[in-house]
Amino acid sequence: MESTGGAVPNQGQQPQPPAAGDAAVQPPPKAERLNAVLQQQLNLESVKTRAIGLYKAISRILEDFDAYARSNTTPKWQDILGQFSMVNMELFNIVEDIKKVSKAFVVCPKNVNAENAAILPVMLSSKLLPEIEAEDNAKREQLLYGLTNLPVHMQIEKLKGRIDMIETACEAAEKVIADARKAYGLGSRQGPTLVPTLDKVQAAKIQEQENLLRAAVNFGEGLRIHTDQRHLPSSLPSHLVDVLTFGDGTQNFGDNSGVYTKNTPSFSSNTVSTQGAVMQTPGTQLMGRPAPSPSGVTGTASFDNASTPPLPYANSPRSSTNMMNTPSPQQQTQQQQQRQKMMQIPQQHQQQLHAQQQLRQSPSPGVLGQSTMSQLNDIQGQTQQKFQQVPGQHQMQYSQPLSQQQFQNRQLQSPHMQHNIAQNQINQGNQLRSHLSQFSGAMNSALFNAAQSSPNSQMLTNMSATMQSQSLLPRMQFYNMAGGHPQRNHPSQIINDQMFGMNASNPANMVAMQQQQHGPQGGFGTIPTSNQNLQPGMVNFPQQRQQNQQ
Amino acid sequence: MECVVQGIIESQHVEALQILLQGLCGVPKERVRVHELCLKSGPNLGVVPSEVRLLCDLAQPTPSWTVRHVGGAMRGAGAEQISVLVRTIVESKVGHNVLRFFYSLGYKLDHELLKEGFVFRFQRGAQITVTVTSANKMPKLYATDEAVPVTPGIQLVEITAPAAAENYSEVVAAVSSFCEYLAPLLHLSKPGVSMGIVPTAAAAAASLMSNSGAKTL
Repeated sequence: MESTGGAVPNQGQQPQPPAAGDAAVQPPPKAERLNAVLQQQLNLESVKTRAIGLYKAISRILEDFDAYARSNTTPKWQDILGQFSMVNMELFNIVEDIKKVSKAFVVCPKNVNAENAAILPVMLSSKLLPEIEAEDNAKREQLLYGLTNLPVHMQIEKLKGRIDMIETACEAAEKVIADARKAYGLGSRQGPTLVPTLDKVQAAKIQEQENLLRAAVNFGEGLRIHTDQRHLPSSLPSHLVDVLTFGDGTQNFGDNSGVYTKNTPSFSSNTVSTQGAVMQTPGTQLMGRPAPSPSGVTGTASFDNASTPPLPYANSPRSSTNMMNTPSPQQQTQQQQQRQKMMQIPQQHQQQLHAQQQLRQSPSPGVLGQSTMSQLNDIQGQTQQKFQQVPGQHQMQYSQPLSQQQFQNRQLQSPHMQHNIAQNQINQGNQLRSHLSQFSGAMNSALFNAAQSSPNSQMLTNMSATMQSQSLLPRMQFYNMAGGHPQRNHPSQIINDQMFGMNASNPANMVAMQQQQHGPQGGFGTIPTSNQNLQPGMVNFPQQRQQNQQ
Repeated sequence: MECVVQGIIESQHVEALQILLQGLCGVPKERVRVHELCLKSGPNLGVVPSEVRLLCDLAQPTPSWTVRHVGGAMRGAGAEQISVLVRTIVESKVGHNVLRFFYSLGYKLDHELLKEGFVFRFQRGAQITVTVTSANKMPKLYATDEAVPVTPGIQLVEITAPAAAENYSEVVAAVSSFCEYLAPLLHLSKPGVSMGIVPTAAAAAASLMSNSGAKTL
């Protein structure tokens, strides 16, 4: 449809036909322009742009609906209503603008053909459709009922009165609705609902309470009763009555820490025995050279006094990894044999040894083992990190055994721990080489000879010569020095290490260690064979490793 | 492993929360009354003390004991991005002499707690357990009958779901999406992170309560 304005043909009001097309159709090449007055009142270009924009928006909405229909999802009505209102407003604005100047325009149909020839006059006419007209008349009739006979001004008066009444009624209704909304807390329909904010003081109080509660539940803060105040109540609750007796109660709350020294490195009697053995044969055994000591060898050979693994533990693998699970009776016999050896041990370690022996008699079940597993895993992860970070080979031994010590301390009693211990031991660098004392003599000598080539060999030979008379403490120094740092003194860890041979089922580590040794490669030649004993027992090792490293 | 989030709710809104959970879960609630004893290992068991929790379920006629060890949480950049805490957990039913057993091992009582409330257990993408409890402390040792709430006006809401290393991401997604349903009433976050209460919880609770009121009529 085209429209003409004023006396001058103008560009199409509708968005579709481009103005240039009009100009091209008409013979005069010069583009016609609107009457200047009209131009001021209505900027046709902008109308066109807005109309095009509106058209696009509507088509977009229709496409969205199409998509909703196809995908059968529920649309977000809030958004759609918003879009509708936007479109509506835009259309309204355009129509308003055009209405202002509509008098200057006449609608002139452009494409008339047989199809729309019949209906066009109807569409163009300004007369209302018959139905609408009838409806209009009926409404007018209803309105002016009873007033038609009155003079016009009175009709007007009456109508005004009616309008006023309706207005007041509407206002009253709105008021009632608003009051009801407030009463029910529904909030006003229009505008953003006010989010009630907490008073600062109140918020702080709540924050404090929350912290208290979370700390209490997660960490037990604020729930601990001081040991002085911990005495059993006269009447125990029913679920605890048969569980606790007064005898048990007292022993539980006493602080047993006096018996054990702070860092209780696990000090096994077996260690003592082996060391004793080593001491008796100075020249042959001592290692200085850190070499991985497969627990297989140690397990079978070592606890010379520990013959049978504990029978009650049916599920503990009766493999060489079962080092820690030596039964107490055998230990006790060992201890008796080794009493004099223990005199050499510094007092601290003696106590620890006693403690260890006592503990051994009550090995823990798998639950405990598992319970420490996660901590072990964490620490092992840390150890491994340390392992990787430390570049120097000599430093390897120092970063790891500290955590090793912790592992071993905790794991003394669990048969299930052996796997973990084995893992942890793989991490150990060179302290485990102290197991060499438990090696077969041939291997020991081989290692010893290999050790001769190391720079520390001089120290080693000196140390070994004096080994017999040495107390345990210098022994540990010696072990440390095997790595090349004589100043370091890790008192008990190596003793532990002797306990748990290296379950070197991780060939990678073995290789790493071997590579980091300078010199005595020969000594390692025998080691892999002994490792094979351990392989079956170490099935889950790699998996655990991975977990640790996560 | 398990996925866990915690949140707090004011005690006055607990009933509304119960109604909401009832509607969301479709299972009846179960009463919960658990005496939790937290034991720490003594120095004889190693330098680093390990912690073990013994839970005695007092809601049943015969108390049943569970031992539980909470492991380390998953760490790393991925763990920080998810809003749920994933941690290793080892749990097992045990006999009633577990307490004596642990004492004889050298474990000592570190603290004890009585949790009273209700729990909803249901399946929604994962086996989810929602526990709403008031944590009570005992002024005297073992005196569960004399327990008083640690924070009288606030109760703890905990949502847990067991997970395995392979499927924990799905479980995390299930728990997170369920938490969104509870957004009107409470903020849920990892156990160490405190989020406060929802300011509009009162309105949400009121609407929940009013709805249910209409239903009973």
